[in-house]
Amino acid sequence: MGARTAMLSIEDLQARVDGKPILNGLTLEVGAGEVHAIMGPNGSGKSTLAYVLAGRPGYEVTGGRVLFEGRDLITLAPEERARAGLFLGFQYPVEIPGVNNVYLLKAAVNAARKARGLPEVDAFEFLGLVREKMALMRMEDSFLSRGVNEGFSGGEKKRNEILQMLVLEPRLAILDETDSGLDIDALKVVAAGVNSQRSPERACVLVTHYQRLLEYVAPDFVHVLVRGRIAKSGDRSLALELERRGYDWVAGEAA
Amino acid sequence: MSSLTPALAQRLAAEHASAARALAGPAGGAAHTALAALLAAGLPTTRDENWKYANLRALEKLRYLPAGATGEPAVVTAALLPPAVPEFARYVFVDGVLAPGLSAPLPAAAAALALHEGLAGTATAGSVDERFALLNAAFAPQALTIGVAAAAKARLELLFIAAADAAHGASYPRVQVQVEPGGQLALIERHLSAADLPSFVNGAVAIAVGAGGSCTHYRLQHLNGRSIYFDTLAARLGARARYRLHGTATGGQSARSTVMVRLEGERADLTLAVAALGERQQVQDAYAVIEHAAPNARTEQTFRGIAAGRARVAFNGKIVVAPGANGTDSRQSLRGLLAGPEAEIDVRPQLEIYTDDVRCSHGATAGKLDDSMLFYLLSRGLTRETAQRLLKWAFLGDVVAKVELPELRHQIEERLVGQLQDDGLRELL
Repeated sequence: MGARTAMLSIEDLQARVDGKPILNGLTLEVGAGEVHAIMGPNGSGKSTLAYVLAGRPGYEVTGGRVLFEGRDLITLAPEERARAGLFLGFQYPVEIPGVNNVYLLKAAVNAARKARGLPEVDAFEFLGLVREKMALMRMEDSFLSRGVNEGFSGGEKKRNEILQMLVLEPRLAILDETDSGLDIDALKVVAAGVNSQRSPERACVLVTHYQRLLEYVAPDFVHVLVRGRIAKSGDRSLALELERRGYDWVAGEAA
Repeated sequence: MSSLTPALAQRLAAEHASAARALAGPAGGAAHTALAALLAAGLPTTRDENWKYANLRALEKLRYLPAGATGEPAVVTAALLPPAVPEFARYVFVDGVLAPGLSAPLPAAAAALALHEGLAGTATAGSVDERFALLNAAFAPQALTIGVAAAAKARLELLFIAAADAAHGASYPRVQVQVEPGGQLALIERHLSAADLPSFVNGAVAIAVGAGGSCTHYRLQHLNGRSIYFDTLAARLGARARYRLHGTATGGQSARSTVMVRLEGERADLTLAVAALGERQQVQDAYAVIEHAAPNARTEQTFRGIAAGRARVAFNGKIVVAPGANGTDSRQSLRGLLAGPEAEIDVRPQLEIYTDDVRCSHGATAGKLDDSMLFYLLSRGLTRETAQRLLKWAFLGDVVAKVELPELRHQIEERLVGQLQDDGLRELL
């Protein structure tokens, strides 16, 4: 991957969940400005990778190393990772009744600003910004007063993840199966949100089972994860080939 | 088994005699009858089924004579009172005795209020769960009766200030409410401490709501953390009567609330929502028994309790559906949150059903903060402290959000924030 400096550098990463090894020596570099797609069959470790990067308790790193903008990511607490500019879009966003959506957005933005020594956002201006991003995500105004993901449909939850990403403006977004469970219209909205964030300073890792999302968010690199390792990497055409030939083809090669 | 040790029985009798002047009004005889019944029946012990989580150890050491009617009257100034709730008349009681100078009475037409010296009505021993009401009947120097006429509306706050040190005597708030058919009452019953002294408060409230009437009852037990508190609330609902009880319990070194509601008329409707917070070594115990005695009545019961430090927070919610109470619809949601490694939560739903055609659901949980919610908030960059505080707040939200009076809700939220000892929560208000 050449002379560019990696924003995220994963080297020989090994991790286990409930004592069971899931990641078995995963190596990957993601540079600023790039979009990477991680594909793979069910159980290959895609979501585990996303959770390990975000620091979810119970996802135990047993070997290897992860550098995020030069810092050892694994030693940071989840909230420190977030404040350093890492964002996880959840496959199953959690409902938190009683915690207001806007309050969470504001608390999250202010936490990141505080970490950078910046003053808190102006509440009025902030609301304007949120409304602007909500319009992009085609979210109704009533969203503002609702609890976090409370009573949201599957599609609404995914759009809410992208909205949070747009408001937080992370350096690196890891989107875990953000496309699953979306109809085609919602998929386009989510893709538009992701594309609006693409810039030379930011990077994105799309974890996905299907290449459908990649029709709308064109990745620079596609990797296939098999049994906790990158079995094959390529450009966008690899996703199309996978669509045609199925995962067994790569899994067979990797074996 | 309820009982009195000989020493305690002797003390009760002696203190009753010494307070005879205060208790010897026109109803003095009734107070004596109540005392005799109490001495015969005894007070509950932790061996009694619905009392095992209550803290009854202090009973042997307490003084029982009514502080407000015997010693020097405590000086309480208006500055100590919480802000008035708009459109609510306010009656202030200091150690269970009306303080007219601090009160802002109702327009005369809204409701008929009468203050009785000594016991109003009669008292019988009743079940073991009614003994603290009996104790109240024996010692209460005053009783307030509130009558809301048919189709009338009244808004009323009763503010009970505990000022006396428990070493000098007790406070016995006593209220009887009658809402006539079609009448509407909004009632705030608030218990506060004047200072940091340990007080002993034992209240008794009886409410009857006639056919088609309504009563919304906000009950705030916000005493200081050193006091001993007992209360007994008995309510009876007629046909299509509606009773909503919103309780918050934050105060008391040891607090026990007994709530007994009987839905006597068809289509009576009860909402009971309680939030309790315990910290340090506080005990917050509540027992609520709801009896469905008529068909097609409805109950919705919600409890949210947080125990921090070494506190114990208990809620025992029992629903009894009598034979013939067909079409009963009852829902119970009881949840406790453990916020400290040495804290204790006891939530217990109980159903006793003596008829077939009912819909009764119940859920009870006790646990720590939800890990997946916590991780979600952390993954957004919130500090662990902020995330935990936010989730505690959200946990109580089910109950607090039901308080429809904005000013009162704000005051309750302020109190809960103070109790959670987390100033960061203020920005949520």
